[in-house]
Amino acid sequence: MTGPRSSVGCGVPALHGRRVYFSPRCNLDLAALTDCFSSASCIVTQTTSGLIIGLLLFLVAAGLTLIFGVLKVVNFTHGSFYMLGAYFAYTVNNLTSSYALAVLAAAIGVGLFALFFERFFISRVYGANVLMQLLVCYAFILILDDAVKIIWGPEFKSMGMPDIFQAPPFFVAGGIIPVFYLFLIIVTLFIAVGLWLIIAYTRFGTIVRAAAVNPSMVSALGINTGLIYAAVFAIGGMLAGLAGGLAVPVRSLTAGMGFSILIESFIVTVIGGMGSIAGALIGSILIGLVRAFGSIGFPLFVEGLMFALMAIILILKPSGLLGKEG
Amino acid sequence: MAPKQTTLSRDLLIAGVALLVLLILPVLWPSKALSDLIIRVSAFSLFATSLNLLVGYTGMVSFGHGMFFGFGAYCFGLSMQRLGVSIPTALLLTIALTAVLAAVVGAISIRLKEIYFAFITLAFQMLLHSLIIAWVPLTGGDQGLMGGIPRPEFLGIDFGLESNRYAFSVLLMIVGLLALRHVAESPFGYTLRMIRDNPERASFLGVNVFRTKLTAFIIAGIFGAVGGVIMAMFVSGAYPEFANWTMSGEGIFMVMLGGISTFLGPTVGAVILSLLNDLITRRTEHHGIFLGVIILVFALGLRKGVTDFIADWFQARRESAGAQLKGGRQ
Amino acid sequence: MSRKKIYVDRRTVLKGAATGAAAILFAPNIVTAQSKKIRIGMLTILSGRVAQLGTSSRNAVMMEVEKINAAGGLVGREVEMVIRDSKGQPQEAARVARELVNSDGCEILYDAEASSGGFAVHEVAKDLGVLCIHTNSETSSLTADPKIRIPNAFRVCRQGIHDSIAGGAYAAEIAKAKNLRNWATCSPDYAYGRDSTQTFMEYLKHFYPEAELKTEAWPKLFQPDYTEVITKVIQARPQALYTCLWGGDLTSWIDQGNIYGMFSQNQVFAVNMADYTALTTVKNLPQGIHSGNRYIKTFPNTPQNAAWADEYRSRYGEYPTNWSWQNAVGIHFLAAAAKKANSVDGKKLEEVLRGLTIESPFGTDGTVTIRAEDQTIVNYAIGWGTTIPQEPYVPEVKAISWETIFELETEWKKRNNYL
Repeated sequence: MTGPRSSVGCGVPALHGRRVYFSPRCNLDLAALTDCFSSASCIVTQTTSGLIIGLLLFLVAAGLTLIFGVLKVVNFTHGSFYMLGAYFAYTVNNLTSSYALAVLAAAIGVGLFALFFERFFISRVYGANVLMQLLVCYAFILILDDAVKIIWGPEFKSMGMPDIFQAPPFFVAGGIIPVFYLFLIIVTLFIAVGLWLIIAYTRFGTIVRAAAVNPSMVSALGINTGLIYAAVFAIGGMLAGLAGGLAVPVRSLTAGMGFSILIESFIVTVIGGMGSIAGALIGSILIGLVRAFGSIGFPLFVEGLMFALMAIILILKPSGLLGKEG
Repeated sequence: MAPKQTTLSRDLLIAGVALLVLLILPVLWPSKALSDLIIRVSAFSLFATSLNLLVGYTGMVSFGHGMFFGFGAYCFGLSMQRLGVSIPTALLLTIALTAVLAAVVGAISIRLKEIYFAFITLAFQMLLHSLIIAWVPLTGGDQGLMGGIPRPEFLGIDFGLESNRYAFSVLLMIVGLLALRHVAESPFGYTLRMIRDNPERASFLGVNVFRTKLTAFIIAGIFGAVGGVIMAMFVSGAYPEFANWTMSGEGIFMVMLGGISTFLGPTVGAVILSLLNDLITRRTEHHGIFLGVIILVFALGLRKGVTDFIADWFQARRESAGAQLKGGRQ
Repeated sequence: MSRKKIYVDRRTVLKGAATGAAAILFAPNIVTAQSKKIRIGMLTILSGRVAQLGTSSRNAVMMEVEKINAAGGLVGREVEMVIRDSKGQPQEAARVARELVNSDGCEILYDAEASSGGFAVHEVAKDLGVLCIHTNSETSSLTADPKIRIPNAFRVCRQGIHDSIAGGAYAAEIAKAKNLRNWATCSPDYAYGRDSTQTFMEYLKHFYPEAELKTEAWPKLFQPDYTEVITKVIQARPQALYTCLWGGDLTSWIDQGNIYGMFSQNQVFAVNMADYTALTTVKNLPQGIHSGNRYIKTFPNTPQNAAWADEYRSRYGEYPTNWSWQNAVGIHFLAAAAKKANSVDGKKLEEVLRGLTIESPFGTDGTVTIRAEDQTIVNYAIGWGTTIPQEPYVPEVKAISWETIFELETEWKKRNNYL
């Protein structure tokens, strides 16, 4: 990674006649990318990096795809759920100095809010034009952003790292893995497995899967689909809130912080397949790895690349990598 | 056929009257805020009505329509700044380039159905947005086109005068709306409705669904871009926000608030949203809460756009013309 | 046939309603010349992520305006601030600016928008000819580029080029002393981020030619997760790191960098660190980050500056920000200009503002001047220092000499064909 670099700095005059592609401002740095692939420490560090980005994203995207899969609702308010989770965690941590309680509060608090949102607002637009649903969600984004600004103030907030995690990072094959991120990876994988187990093996999970495919049949069998919908929405919201709460030690909180994660979760859900949680996992890890290695090879195209990936999947297999056809 | 002719001449009459009214208005009521509002409404009206050609008439929900608004603004701005052409030439150039963009994007996107079509248009829009921000030497990046858009004289008309720019914007809106109306009421427009209602049947009847949809997409793109041109002239620049997904969102809200099933619905929506925005931001900085609540009232209370509501009301009244009815909904 | 009638009726109804609404909303706000108050229209960002920019700007303005009104106002006329949210959107900024001047009778435009919003307001000022004070727009070309500059717009805030020269000069001294040859940058990928970083590296190399840029990372503005850029930087093992991240981005970058041990390996130069919100929000602020001053109570180390900071703090419960002092100095300039011209007429104020020097707690030597040739302020306090994790946060700030800045700025302008 050290040694003379033949890459062109963005904005700095070109050296060694390096060809400048497409954007006249910066270039691809494929040399750096191949350097990285041939270095164990780089691979370890960047892969962990990709996993971290991906897994936190997965929690949010899983909720989004679950809600779409079962309720056929595109929940544009999902980013705001994430934001609320972060703020709830921040406040509870301030009151109790306990990160564990803060995360719990985030998950439960947002789960309850999602329940309220679904029962009183979203349920009124089931089956309506998707644009009406979009309108309702957007109204809530506006209201929540303002509410957050009024309650917590306009300046950005930060919680800081809980003391437990302030240990030096692990070194594996020369690559760096911070303690907190290891914790996050374990927790999110645990949640992912738990989610899968619930959906695949419990009665509740079976009912949810059935409701996704044939709601009228499920209700004909005497099961209250309204309750199911509410539960699914609450779980989806809870996942987003949990992600917000877990990420708080390494994020700064402002109103509007939900936007970028909303867009990214959409990309993941499209790539993975709307309604498929396993697809969301694959999609988010893919995005995470693309970001991690992309920032080395083509730092300025990473965002564009994600949208390009989304477009490519839509063209080749619109239902996503693991989505069901039709 | 006779009904079509009546429609055309009636539309021309209405358009003419509207144009006259709008041109005389600043003389009778010299409020710059009103003129500014009308110019902005002109831009958004074309944008939203062209979007509704896709959403309401053809059943194609697009989340990326803002790409044409932004593309139109930048094309126009760049042509004026770099090529030094006259305003009408820049406008024509913009239309031509937009048609190419719409053809390319449409050809790829239209094969997808429903929500996937929506997402891929969004993806293309964000790609354009990323491109605008990245290509700094051409577009100025996130600062936008700086230095203002030149206003050269054309055929003796001095575009440096605000009143002339106002007249031009209003003229563009009326002509654009008239053209879109003509498209919507033509056999092509009815084919679009047929595709919206039953695409299989349409194709059995020999309609090339793909090509028809593509044509509609291109037309919609062109008029979306003209909306962008009006806005670029108003702010004397072009900014990446014009091509952001928030712009697409605003277009959708105008269509939904104003009414998806009438031709003028989106225009009404543009008026409502602009008025609401102006009113609310004047009084308070907590515009999010107020606007959000009002939108909720519309979405959950009315459950349809304003003109849809009015149209349904008149329909209900007509249908029970015999019996006494207190003007309730069906 | 009845359909036709209904169609026309509906349109008429709508038009009638629209005209009625227009009548209510747009009744021209008549402010006669004899009226006592002078209205100044201020637009800023009061919502969204950067809402703090607007609120701290507004705080400073209201504090100063109250003092002015208590002392009799501007040439006897009471100042009334009309403050609107332009949301950081340029088309909204343009609309609000026009509305403030055209409908609300504002005689002066006080633009507290940032970057692209500022440029949009600049175009409105060009069209309307009204006096415009830019208080938060740091892009140098706004005043440096003669194609963009207009006679009725003035900038009363710091500039990117000044900060870069100052930063480069300071960093070069540290680099010479500690032999810091390998550099990395990690800055947000937008105009300010790119320009600042590029010019900083240029001036670093100007003073210390041995510096070499080994790696660059370009996160997106407001990107929440910096993991991949942090790991990229760490793997390049630089000796020194420059960033112009600011606000919430800077704090989360520090939080995330901490767990990777990023700050123990390098000397970090963060031009936007010395801002009280950032300093107080980061819970685990590493020791020894080199930062430029955004606003620091102890720099300049004068009783006037400390008093102003204390007044702001006791009134608003928080420390002033960079945006606060810039907006305050703008009001100070207006007051001084009005007094000197004995008028609040825009044209007369313009003439007086060019080259005007006022006493200011924010000036290097107690004064700040609006340079006549490009209508932007110079001689404001610019300096760098290192952080400690408790008050006063930046105990010693080294002032950078304005002679150096002027010399290099002139050369930079020549290079860009601005002169």
